[in-house]
Amino acid sequence: MGKITGFMELERVHEPAQPVPERVRHYREFILRLADADASKQGARCMDCGIPFCQSGCPVNNIIPDWNDLVYRGAVRTAIDVLHSTNNFPEVTGRVCPAPCEAACTLNINNDPVGIKSIEHYIADKAWEEGWVAPQTPEEKTGKRVAVVGSGPAGLACAQQLARAGHDVVVFEKSDRIGGLLRYGIPDFKMEKHLIDRRMAQMSIEGVEFRPNVEVGRDYPAPQLLAEFDAVVLAGGAEAPRDLPVPGRDLGGVHFAMDFLPQQNKVNAGDRVADQITATGKHVIVIGGGDTGSDCVGTSNRQGAASITQFELLPQPPEQENKPLVWPYWPIKLRTSSSHEEGCERDWAVATKRFEGADGRVTKLVAARVEWKKAGDGQMRMQEIEGSEFELKADLVLLAMGFTGPAPVSLLEQLAPERDGRSNVKASTVDYATSVPRVFAAGDIRRGQSLVVWAIREGRQCARAVDEFLMGKSDLPR
Amino acid sequence: MMRKCHLNTCPVGIATQDPELRKKFTGQPEHVVNYFFFVAEEVRELMARMGIRKFDDMIGRSDLLDMRRGIAHWKARGLDFSRIFYQPSMPPEVARYHSEEQDHGLERALDHQLIAAAQPAIEHKQPVRLSYKIRNANRTVGAMLSGTVARRYGHAGLPEDTIHVAFKGTAGQSFGAFLAHGITFELEGATNDYVGKGLSGGRIVVYPDPTCPARPEENIVVGNTVMYGAIAGEAYFRGVAGERFCVRNSGASAVVEGTGDHGCEYMTGGTVVVLGRTGRNFAAGMSGGVAFVYDPDDEFRNRCNVTMVGLERVANEMDQAKMEQELEIAGKGRLRHAGRTDEALLRELIERHLRFTGSTLALAILDDWEAALPKFVKVLPHEYTRALTEMYEEHVVPVSKPAKQKQAA
Repeated sequence: MGKITGFMELERVHEPAQPVPERVRHYREFILRLADADASKQGARCMDCGIPFCQSGCPVNNIIPDWNDLVYRGAVRTAIDVLHSTNNFPEVTGRVCPAPCEAACTLNINNDPVGIKSIEHYIADKAWEEGWVAPQTPEEKTGKRVAVVGSGPAGLACAQQLARAGHDVVVFEKSDRIGGLLRYGIPDFKMEKHLIDRRMAQMSIEGVEFRPNVEVGRDYPAPQLLAEFDAVVLAGGAEAPRDLPVPGRDLGGVHFAMDFLPQQNKVNAGDRVADQITATGKHVIVIGGGDTGSDCVGTSNRQGAASITQFELLPQPPEQENKPLVWPYWPIKLRTSSSHEEGCERDWAVATKRFEGADGRVTKLVAARVEWKKAGDGQMRMQEIEGSEFELKADLVLLAMGFTGPAPVSLLEQLAPERDGRSNVKASTVDYATSVPRVFAAGDIRRGQSLVVWAIREGRQCARAVDEFLMGKSDLPR
Repeated sequence: MMRKCHLNTCPVGIATQDPELRKKFTGQPEHVVNYFFFVAEEVRELMARMGIRKFDDMIGRSDLLDMRRGIAHWKARGLDFSRIFYQPSMPPEVARYHSEEQDHGLERALDHQLIAAAQPAIEHKQPVRLSYKIRNANRTVGAMLSGTVARRYGHAGLPEDTIHVAFKGTAGQSFGAFLAHGITFELEGATNDYVGKGLSGGRIVVYPDPTCPARPEENIVVGNTVMYGAIAGEAYFRGVAGERFCVRNSGASAVVEGTGDHGCEYMTGGTVVVLGRTGRNFAAGMSGGVAFVYDPDDEFRNRCNVTMVGLERVANEMDQAKMEQELEIAGKGRLRHAGRTDEALLRELIERHLRFTGSTLALAILDDWEAALPKFVKVLPHEYTRALTEMYEEHVVPVSKPAKQKQAA
């Protein structure tokens, strides 16, 4: 598999990207897929190590060595089938997945890992371009009806699998467009939205009905849902953002990231957004050092912010992980995203103390440096460093500090499924069944905020559980 | 992590000879020491949890094994382990672990007689001629005798043929194992497996009983894995050997009249002459030394594993000298195997085979030498060719011409 000596001869190649000055002028994708020859060379670097940690490191267990080899040999047509056998939306993960597979790659022990994500991206895009991705309509319909509530990656993967098993699937979405976080959480410059439209077209032919602009529970009461469908899958995500309850939080100009990001995607899609929150000409402070924070940085840059500062509460992680210690697991290390490359100040171990403003609008942020120390109980606790307080000009503050659990929507109140300690809907990864009969849960609503690829996994596994529940057996993969 | 130990591409430099990859090896002996400390510590913890004080008290306690997860695994479905983990009911006075010394019957070994009879040789280097009957209960004959010689004289041993033992019968396993310099074992009869295992300079000669009507070159005379890991010495077998003849030989010479499968497997040095048919997969993993195979029907190629070796015709002395000269001029000279021309080396080994075993096959080949020589195939490992070339470059090229002639002489 791969070229036996490929890893000794060939280097990891990164996907070509538009230079920063060019790409910050638009919202389109700026990372291009590998050329045929480069993809083949990257596939050749796979050592076919024999115990593919990449495959177990991948939440959907993509059969990575196999398609690495197929791409090396130019058999992309077969590669897309192998890739689709474990992953419903490789064009998505090929763009936005942080690639835990690459952290787990055996070559990563003492070398640069195989560019697995770039190969996935290549296979998926090439396959769509060549017209190799066709709808997989079921041979027989079962006559069973399943409602999927929420159209993010978990809901869509679940819906597609269930439709392919022959069920009639209806996907409900409270927003005006299908896609959930894929549609409104990921900026267009990371993933263009026609990819979702393309998948929706495929899924419609496979038997999925999409109903946007319907908030189940409010527009469609739970009893009606349970009456009309044989099974219900809750895939509403973990949308409740973590707040920052400090003085001045209610000043104008302090927003949750997820109030800010979707607006730009809507504008890009041609919508008119009244009173859009913009960063144009403003001093922007992003609180939270994760991916959402990063997306705020990239979007602010494109809107023409005067300055962008990003804070993280935790101390700065090391630039290079201790590989013998952490491999094959996901390492905590300094990660500089493409949005960071586009320009922003980053600061670590900073806690915001209050916002101050004039005329109801924020003008500055007061913060202090903190120190993390192990407390008596072994837990790391932070402590403010005395006299470290400082102020920063702020016209727009974006809170990107993660999500605490499912949003308090009326559907959850009506169904009242049992919750776990983190307010997530309780269900196991074996049967995905909630405490409410015929109601299942998958994705962030069940596991808490996580990656797109975990959502796809849960959606797929949940689909199998639902299929088994409805039919007594299932041929869907787990 | 990697299961590619056979490809020479181990990315962490463990199972590879590639100098670039070996640089990546970061292990230290202390890591292994640490590892065993951890193992010991964990074993202690597990024992403490089970309330067991001594290792001996755990032996045979299959009732303490946690096999639920193993049995619940889908691959184990339908398997019944009860007999594997069966506990025979035994009274407490019956030990569950090794608590008595085993009797290997070493004091009855034939070697005690050999050592006693060879005292003049061992003490005063006086040649001794001995003869014994042998049967298959006599195992590893010669090892203790060789040990006695080695303790006294080291690996250099005694002058050639100082202790000559003629046996008659069927030898048990490992006849002539580790035989030291200066000892010759001659056997009229046949042997079991592992003849000449670890041969360390001695000479072993085996030929069938002359009254036996079977044709020697068509019948097995020595068993499997003969000359396993031999390092020096010589052996002559009038007849056919079993599987894996000369496996891991690193320096001894051997002549045989046919072999089973996997001949010269993993061989790293020495010279092997096969005067008859070989089995399949000859020379698998062979990285050094040379084998000469008599191949009058030109079919050896099909039975040889040529992954690591090249096959050549054996040139006569004149042609070889000419070829070497041409290579030298082209700057690609290489040392000779064993410092001799192939023809001289091959002919000498076959002559000795004839002399020691009376082989009619050897006689026929020597009688028609001019015609026989081109029918030999030389099996030459690629790695060995590279080594001979590099050694030539290191030792021959830098010195001036006179020294080069000295080398040839």
